[in-house]
Amino acid sequence: MLEFDGLHKSFGANRVLDGVSFAVAPGSMFGFCGSNGAGKTTTMRIAMGLVRADAGEVRWQGRPLDQALRRRIGYMPEERGLYPKMRVGEQLAYFARLHGLDGAAATRAAEHWADRLGLGERRRDQVEKLSLGNQQRVQLAAALVSRPEVLILDEPFSGLDPVGVDALAEALLEQVRGGVPVVFSSHQLDLVERLCDAVGILARGAMVATGPVAELRRRESGRLLRVVVPDAPPGWAAALPGVRVVSERAGDTLLELAPGADDQAVLAAALRTGRVGHFAWREPSLVELFREAVAEPAGVAA
Amino acid sequence: MTASGPGSPGSTALVRLVAAREVSSRIRDKNFIVSSAVILLLLLGMMVFQVAVGGVEAGRIAVVADDGRLGPALEAQGEAVGVEVQVVDTMDEAEARAAVQAGEVDAALLDGTGPAPELLLVDRDPALEAVVGGAVSGLAVSDRLLEAGVDLQSIPEVAVTPLGDGEDDGQQVVVAVIGIVVLYGLLFLFAQFVAQGVVEEKSSRVVELLLATMRPWQLLAGKILGLGLLGLGQIVVIGVVGVAGALAFDLVDVPGELIGTVATVIAWFVLGYAFYACVFAVAASLVSRQEDLGSVLTPASMLLVVGFFVAFQAASDPSGTLAAVTSFVPGLSPLVMPVRQAAGEAAGWEVALAVVLMLVAIGLAVRLGGRVYSGALLRTSGKTRLREALRAERA
Repeated sequence: MLEFDGLHKSFGANRVLDGVSFAVAPGSMFGFCGSNGAGKTTTMRIAMGLVRADAGEVRWQGRPLDQALRRRIGYMPEERGLYPKMRVGEQLAYFARLHGLDGAAATRAAEHWADRLGLGERRRDQVEKLSLGNQQRVQLAAALVSRPEVLILDEPFSGLDPVGVDALAEALLEQVRGGVPVVFSSHQLDLVERLCDAVGILARGAMVATGPVAELRRRESGRLLRVVVPDAPPGWAAALPGVRVVSERAGDTLLELAPGADDQAVLAAALRTGRVGHFAWREPSLVELFREAVAEPAGVAA
Repeated sequence: MTASGPGSPGSTALVRLVAAREVSSRIRDKNFIVSSAVILLLLLGMMVFQVAVGGVEAGRIAVVADDGRLGPALEAQGEAVGVEVQVVDTMDEAEARAAVQAGEVDAALLDGTGPAPELLLVDRDPALEAVVGGAVSGLAVSDRLLEAGVDLQSIPEVAVTPLGDGEDDGQQVVVAVIGIVVLYGLLFLFAQFVAQGVVEEKSSRVVELLLATMRPWQLLAGKILGLGLLGLGQIVVIGVVGVAGALAFDLVDVPGELIGTVATVIAWFVLGYAFYACVFAVAASLVSRQEDLGSVLTPASMLLVVGFFVAFQAASDPSGTLAAVTSFVPGLSPLVMPVRQAAGEAAGWEVALAVVLMLVAIGLAVRLGGRVYSGALLRTSGKTRLREALRAERA
């Protein structure tokens, strides 16, 4: 297991992480979501030893990460970085060697990954001569070239075209099938939903939701109710006890029920307006879960 | 992982990897190649210039119908005025003319002991003309005097007594000054390379990826070591070419002293480089763009420039107070001390003290610099203040 355990971090008076904990099982993909500035990058930097946590630690297979263990992690920083004037192949081999591969193995691995990511032709080109999309591929290759045991990727999909996204997704899924735990952060929630076994949503320095997407959905379902009542006057459900109107458009109404609110009372009220076209619990999308999770808690004064 | 999986490289291996990358990427860099070539060409040019003005050039003079006295007289006269003369005997005027025109000889002397001596040459050459004129008239005068019955044995000869301490330090100081120019140039060049490398890693953000695999000090050490080896290689090549050239062109009197001075300069390069590379690297780590590099490097560059000018002053007055004091100041000593040493003004303990002070300064620069470097490296936006960097911590 890759465990992030109770990470706390403040920069001066600014508290960035306030007890971030989650675990990623080998061979699973973990999507790390959160609004900008929520602390995703700081969490990953702590794992890579680039920022020191005030408290808490990150463990791999039960051992706190140290410099030696970190060399077994493939890392892709949020701010992409490569030597602009170094050739693609040499650069990949260099990073492979920094991670502990010997010269021959590093050269082989560099060739392999350049070919795999469609950079075979560009191996002898300087990185700065490549298009941004191709530079991004080199960046990914740099994370994969050392045959890492763990992958930590900060926004790996940003800036990729759909074909690039698919290629990257396929490469990551292959790593997962090989037993590698993969953590990546992303704002593309549809992608996270499609690829990840589990997600974690970070808000205000703490994990507000973690778990498999399906489980999160189930946890949240039983709260959103979609009712289609074509003949109802606007605001027909506003007065029902424990019910909040999320959206209402020409009778297509989305209602959020507080715990304990009576769905049968809602049905009765709907029937009173006339014909009921649709009445069902709705599984929230990850986007809705995310919005829900990161919303400032109402009424709680800071 | 499998048996062929990645191991964990130690500090030495990491530092060596970084150093090897620095060397291999710099050695292919156009600026580096051009600057190396320029320095070597300058050095060679300087020696050729010395030869040209030094007049040690050999002049070949064809002599027609020598009676056996002209040859030695020409050679003796040439030696007296510092022009090496080679005498070539020729049978007749036509042969001599052809030899001059073909460039086989520089000049041809016709009828040297006769009533109408004539010198043939392609272009006028005052030095050669003076040698020939002196030799011919000398022979003629002594002939006339002999005819008149004057005793040539009684002409007094001038005895020469040098009043110096017997050692010619002047030449050593000249060598030291040339050495200082090279030393200064290379210190600046390579410290600048280190600074540019640091900023390149920051501005391209590759530093974050690097620091995920190694500690800042390992990165710093590898960078300084790699470029230092390259710099050392370059100054050794320059030294060897310089010494070989000076010996080949016969520019120095005492080769042993020349080699000693060159070795001293090279040793001081190592110390100076260690200091300036560290200071430049640390200063560079405070900024994230090449454009900002100039401003943070100014204080350290100033020190280097001051050292350069003081060293020149020291060359003209190696026993002066300024030279004596500055030859102990870390940062200035690598430039000033070699001059004093070459001038024979520095005692052994003085050199030792300067070296120790310099080593202490290097130690401080490495320790303090390492902290600033670690603290500032990941602040890839804008400029970091020195104090902030010192306070910043890292896992």
